[in-house]
Amino acid sequence: MANTSLPCRLTCCREQMSTGLHMVDGRITLWDGDRSFQVHVPDLQLATGQALALTGASGSGKTLILEMLGLLRAPEAGTTYCVDGTNLAPLWRGGPRNPKLAEMRGRLFGFVPQSGGLLPFLTVAENIAVPQRVCQRPDPVWCTTLVDRLGLNDQAGQYPASLSIGQRQRTAIARALSHRPRIVIADEPTSALDPTSADQVLALFLEIAAEQGAGVILSSHDLARMARHGIAQRNLVVEPGWPVKSRLEEGPC
Amino acid sequence: MLIISLAIRDLFRDRFFLLCNTAILVGVLVPLLLLFGVKNGVYAALLNEMLADPASRQIDTAGNTTFSEADVAPIRDWPGVAFVTPKIRSQFDFVNVRSVEGKRLVAALIVPSGPGDPTLPKDATLTPGRLAISASLARQLNLTTGAPLQLITQAEDRPRQLVLDASVGLVLPEQAVSGRVVLAPFEVLDLIEAFYDAYTLPDHGIEGTKPLEQRVPRYGGIRVYAQKLEMLAPLQARLEDHLGVATLARSREVEALLGLGRNLTLALGLTAALASVGLGAALGFAFWSDVARKRGVLASIALVGVPGRTLMLFPMIQAMVTGLLGLVVSWIGYQVAGRIAQKLFGDGLPNDAALTVITAWQAMAIGGAVLVLLLGVSAIAGWSVQRIDPATVLREVT
Repeated sequence: MANTSLPCRLTCCREQMSTGLHMVDGRITLWDGDRSFQVHVPDLQLATGQALALTGASGSGKTLILEMLGLLRAPEAGTTYCVDGTNLAPLWRGGPRNPKLAEMRGRLFGFVPQSGGLLPFLTVAENIAVPQRVCQRPDPVWCTTLVDRLGLNDQAGQYPASLSIGQRQRTAIARALSHRPRIVIADEPTSALDPTSADQVLALFLEIAAEQGAGVILSSHDLARMARHGIAQRNLVVEPGWPVKSRLEEGPC
Repeated sequence: MLIISLAIRDLFRDRFFLLCNTAILVGVLVPLLLLFGVKNGVYAALLNEMLADPASRQIDTAGNTTFSEADVAPIRDWPGVAFVTPKIRSQFDFVNVRSVEGKRLVAALIVPSGPGDPTLPKDATLTPGRLAISASLARQLNLTTGAPLQLITQAEDRPRQLVLDASVGLVLPEQAVSGRVVLAPFEVLDLIEAFYDAYTLPDHGIEGTKPLEQRVPRYGGIRVYAQKLEMLAPLQARLEDHLGVATLARSREVEALLGLGRNLTLALGLTAALASVGLGAALGFAFWSDVARKRGVLASIALVGVPGRTLMLFPMIQAMVTGLLGLVVSWIGYQVAGRIAQKLFGDGLPNDAALTVITAWQAMAIGGAVLVLLLGVSAIAGWSVQRIDPATVLREVT
């Protein structure tokens, strides 16, 4: 980041205290040999308790943006990225293995991977409690509440291998919310579910996240479902030309 | 700590992996422990047998020569020397021993001794009137500690016997000295030699042809004991060089046994080193491939905020648990195999010694070495864990 623009960006972080997440001029480039793929996020804001869907064609860079937002991939210099008033972009200066990055990722974010990402050697209840143990904020009552609200009471003592895909996704959602993160990042969380289950799971997910004031950013191809659940949409547009560039536009596609 | 509990839970869920690695450890460790135990047991039994016999460390000048005190004195200060005593001429070192109470008379060898003599117990002191005798002599004359006895010497051309009154200060154990033997301070033997050399001994009523004052002290030989078996051969060589005479010692036997010990240690060390390389490679690749297999799981743990430096402990903790389990099972296997071997081959050992011996310290050192080896090879897997990209889990189906 250029020093000349630093005061403005710090102000931006201070002003966004009430905003859950704010990224300005976020850029990331992926290299595959000598081919590159660039994604640009000019301005992205998400208030606490709000949900936002990133839409776009396959390969447009939705997951890449989620990875950048979730402190999993380093943005390029010049990016300002604040969550809860904290500028997170400088954490990347310590390298991708900076323990502070992992700590902030664990504390501020919850993740719902497409595959669930559950630990196969822990039961459902134990999987849900893992983020609390990582943050050293144990709250068994909240875990029980999540198990109950997501309809996992009968499965609490079971291992992920014995669960249906829907149950796994509900477990992943409970895990993502268990440590009361500021932002939940979900990569196509309902793509593996049948339409009815997808609607039920998404509704529960958004409801619980909104109750605890967590912002939700998810990627999806299902524009209709997003609209049905009243989720704001931002579309990724792949610009014509070489190298491949993708840009996050305002509004749905 | 979270990572410990996650690593152990994963390890015990993946029990075939655990069993496989434990079997590799047991397969390598049990034969090595058994070899090491047998080497220790057999070698220690032979060595202890040799150590129990002070004659194993003894060096005697051969035949009769003539030494002065000036020849002997410096030897006492040599490093590695436990005890030095001069000897009289060999034809005079037999005496008749009589039990005063029993009236019986037997011939016995009289050997010079004194403080530091390994044949004697550590705190034993001898005086001209208080001597040590062998168990065989004590048995034949029915002598016990404190019993009076007489040493009687008769020279062919002398009208009177030399009779020395003394008492039994100590009866030596059976294994210390064999045959009929009296251990006495050198001055007793010197007196006997003076008697044979026809000196007048007024204190003992002996009329000789030469006055005792004219006698120049001369030694017929020297006996030296080395402090340790390892010092015997070098000490013998130095002694021969210093005195310019041949000496007698069990150097060849001692060196053969010590050489056997060294060779066995070397052979076992080479075997253990090769086995360690194989074991390290087998387990190192096993943990590395396991990490590759569980990349998605490890990425999931990283995703929820566990830093790479902590995550790298995952395979290392699993390696330690596997190592401990392997060591316990191997120890049990060694004990069972050791008992079977003892029954099959343990009869020929001296003093009913154990065929397989591993001390507690040796066991702890072996256990520590195995754990350090496992820690080292699993650190490679740990290094690869640190490089796992948590974004993987967002992109791959685990």
